[in-house]
Amino acid sequence: MKRSDLILIVLVLCLAALPLAGGAYTLRLGTMAAMSCILALSWNVIGGFAGYPSFAAAAFFGLGAYTTGILLGYKVPLWLSLPIAAGLSFALAGLLGAVLLRLRGHYFAIASLALVEVLREIVNHATDLTGGGMGLNIPVTAGTDIMADARFFFYAMWLVLLVTTIAVIAVSSSRLGFGLSCIRQNEAASQMVGLNTTLYKSIAFGLSACFVGAAGGVYAAWVHYIDPTDVFDILYSVKPIVMALIGGLGSSLGVMIGALLYLVLEEVVWRNYIQFHSAVLGALIIALLLFLPHGLTSLRGGLLLRRLRGA
Amino acid sequence: MLAAQVLINALVLGCLYACIAIGFSLVWGVLNVINLAHGSFIVLGAYGAWWLYHAFGIAPWYALAIVAPLFFVFGYAIQRSILNQVIAAPVLVTLTMTFGLDLLLNNVMIYFFTADFRKLTLSPPVGSLSFGGVVVPVDRLIALVLALALTFALYVILRRSRTGRAIVAVRLDRDAATLMGVDVKSIYAIAFGIGAVMAGCAGVLMALIFPISPLVSTAYLTKAFVVCVLGGLGSVSGALAGGLLLALIEGVGSVLFGPALATTLSFVLLIVFLVVRPQGLMGRKGFE
Amino acid sequence: MDRTRRNLAATVASAACLVAAGLLASAAPAAADDVIRFGAPLPLTGPLAPEAIKQKQGYDLWAEEANKAGGIDVGGKRYKVEIVYTDYQSNTPRSVQATEQMITQNKVNFLFGAFGSGAAKAASSVSEKYRIPTIAAAASSAQVYDQGYKFLFGTFTPNDTLTTPLTKLVREKAPDVKKVAILARNDLFPLAIAQELEKSAKANGMEVVYFEKYAINTLDHSAALSQMKALAPQWIFVTGYINDLLLVRKQMVDQQMKAPVVSMIAGPAYQEFIDAAGQSAENISSAAWWHPAVRYEGKDVFKSTVNYVKLFRDKYKATPDYAQASASAAGAIFQLAIEKAGSIDPQKVRDALASLDVMTFYGPVKFGPTGQIVSLEPPVFQIQGAKPVVLLPAAIKQGEFRLGVQ
Repeated sequence: MKRSDLILIVLVLCLAALPLAGGAYTLRLGTMAAMSCILALSWNVIGGFAGYPSFAAAAFFGLGAYTTGILLGYKVPLWLSLPIAAGLSFALAGLLGAVLLRLRGHYFAIASLALVEVLREIVNHATDLTGGGMGLNIPVTAGTDIMADARFFFYAMWLVLLVTTIAVIAVSSSRLGFGLSCIRQNEAASQMVGLNTTLYKSIAFGLSACFVGAAGGVYAAWVHYIDPTDVFDILYSVKPIVMALIGGLGSSLGVMIGALLYLVLEEVVWRNYIQFHSAVLGALIIALLLFLPHGLTSLRGGLLLRRLRGA
Repeated sequence: MLAAQVLINALVLGCLYACIAIGFSLVWGVLNVINLAHGSFIVLGAYGAWWLYHAFGIAPWYALAIVAPLFFVFGYAIQRSILNQVIAAPVLVTLTMTFGLDLLLNNVMIYFFTADFRKLTLSPPVGSLSFGGVVVPVDRLIALVLALALTFALYVILRRSRTGRAIVAVRLDRDAATLMGVDVKSIYAIAFGIGAVMAGCAGVLMALIFPISPLVSTAYLTKAFVVCVLGGLGSVSGALAGGLLLALIEGVGSVLFGPALATTLSFVLLIVFLVVRPQGLMGRKGFE
Repeated sequence: MDRTRRNLAATVASAACLVAAGLLASAAPAAADDVIRFGAPLPLTGPLAPEAIKQKQGYDLWAEEANKAGGIDVGGKRYKVEIVYTDYQSNTPRSVQATEQMITQNKVNFLFGAFGSGAAKAASSVSEKYRIPTIAAAASSAQVYDQGYKFLFGTFTPNDTLTTPLTKLVREKAPDVKKVAILARNDLFPLAIAQELEKSAKANGMEVVYFEKYAINTLDHSAALSQMKALAPQWIFVTGYINDLLLVRKQMVDQQMKAPVVSMIAGPAYQEFIDAAGQSAENISSAAWWHPAVRYEGKDVFKSTVNYVKLFRDKYKATPDYAQASASAAGAIFQLAIEKAGSIDPQKVRDALASLDVMTFYGPVKFGPTGQIVSLEPPVFQIQGAKPVVLLPAAIKQGEFRLGVQ
């Protein structure tokens, strides 16, 4: 295990102590943070390791949310619904991946973007199952006590994060991770030396979807009400990418820190600039990309200074 | 009767879609940059038209002449100052950059114009023409003619002028063009400027037809995406073909399966196209 | 190797500092004792942004009037009103988060619900947990109130109170209308109201020849409208928000569609709709929960509808519509309930709200068992001469129903 992976695990474990530190709102932020970390780490598997710019996260987030929501409606317990949601996301992503991952660059990006639209509209039309545009009521799974409730969902999300982290680390130090990085560097060559690139990419896409699906599931149980525009929100696809870019592509630890940093920025900006928060956020994103082109990893030595002077 | 009407609707709408997409397509094709702020550019152009009409009584067709140079400067400046810095970075970086730009631009527009929906209503209204029961709205017709004229102008510029040919050369092979002594950075900025002009002009024309608000920008952007993929990147004919195809799918799909499913249908087709024919209807094999 | 390690350490440290800074920056402000804080999450950015401004105007006007009159009287002590705003970006998860933030960080005493049925519903699960009385000023669908929540109240009557009188009026004044075409935005409120209309049209012996949904963000309706035109409906009913309705109306004119009755919900009540649609707004009928032409003498801070409209015009140079009035009414109703309870204890105010039966500038206020208001009689109106003219209820009727929309 690499040193950075160790730090990552420690960071995730530290996060588990959050309930000791704060009240329900802090836990809400913590739950959101864990969710974002799951999304960002998952994206990194396909986007960072394999180099495929996927925008499909929202599709699987929504799929997971609806799967869990519907199952909970049929009185299936949460601990069973979540693995089902994750499994379904994995299977669907793997199958679609086998087809879509033949595309590269922008083309793949758009196909994955379109996937979000298609899944959203399918959910919108399956009115009998999903309630369509009217949304879906989800039965309350936790207690009514505020803190107990907050703690329950925080730990549920955190658990998914822990599993995600372990899986991501396992991938990066395995044959699969090596294969993916070969694919990123030169796909044709990898194929030539006998790597089953389609299989590798499909598994990577599946892995990048399954934890997102589980996160969507926790989210659905947490908010009690979902509708298609909310859970198939394209922002669930875009934000993890920004987070990963902030942190530095490819490195799981970097991505995780990027996610936390992005959330802090977003929260601070949102609170302090009621009229202008998205403009400030936009400007920050531009500035970050201009001055830290490789994310936080470009913070080494005098590079930043040189860059500032040069620009 | 219904069939004829739906076809005519699709024909007119298709040209408008092409107009929305063409600047986007050019930037994508030449710079390999997906400009997520394209929708906001269009809305900004629409506000330009609205303001010129209501403050000075300048009709949208004259407004084009005022809006176009402003947008060229605007686009050129953005490319030179921001995007050129990261143009060599991976696809994702430029994509995220334009996402940030879109957030910024959209928020600024909401602040200055508020998110209210405005409408540029020509007085007197221009009405519709009727050909034996098949109706064609005149304002759409005007927008269509102007859109085609603009598109044709772009086509001529790309084919005939020295700069235009340099743009095409960069699109086809960046490295070869550099070796031939083309100043790629400047060509990029000009291409992005032209892309912005097309977006601004599209906005002026759309102001005739659609309500104006910063909130419409995503709708424009989505259409541009689909049109580009269906038609193929970076070429004028591709945008036209893509626009017509999209409008046709939406129109026929709406009648056969209902309007809500028509949009879904266009996205499903988009995925199919990407997999089966990624170069689009008219395009050559695109960039990676 | 050593270098990477140092970089990692530096990265982690800098991130930790930023996190700490963020948490510090979010430290809660202390609540002053002679102030009652109201939290109002608004969709100031995103697709619902135009609605947020209306709500804010309504709340601000109430706060201003309440403070001008010395504040809210709680058992003899006067409290000033303070409204805390936040932007939830038209994004439901954000609205939930904003609601919890306002309760735990800003320490608000009471809440105004998020805009629209979906967000109001999601956010109310939080305010219910914290037992903070919440009045939703813009959520009408019965589905919002069907979860058995005790602390959620709403100032809009259920959707069928809009569609039933509308259908009744059409049947009375245009008995020839038999074929109805409905086009609905595929979204909680617009869809729910379209379904109500379908029900009431069928109950009145009309035939629904066309009922379709359109996707959110649809730019062009011409295909759907052409198809509708071919069916020659006598009553065209379109639901959506103001942008959708402007778009549909414009394209109806483009397609030269004519019908004896064209109704739209929920745009025509807004002056912006009339301004933007111009001539094509003529004879469009609609219904809303309130109209400036209603006449009520209330016990609230605004005293009467006439006075409210005057105050609103003085402040904003515009005539209030139902959205703004409902926001003001939500504030005024809170004030009445707090004064009646003689306390700012959430449970007592909640009970006062539940048992409220009082007249206001907005109309008679009485909440049903689900918390949704049941006492309003929503006016049906029609745009005539670029003005909304009330047709029903008969008591405040301003004109006759005109048939024929060009």
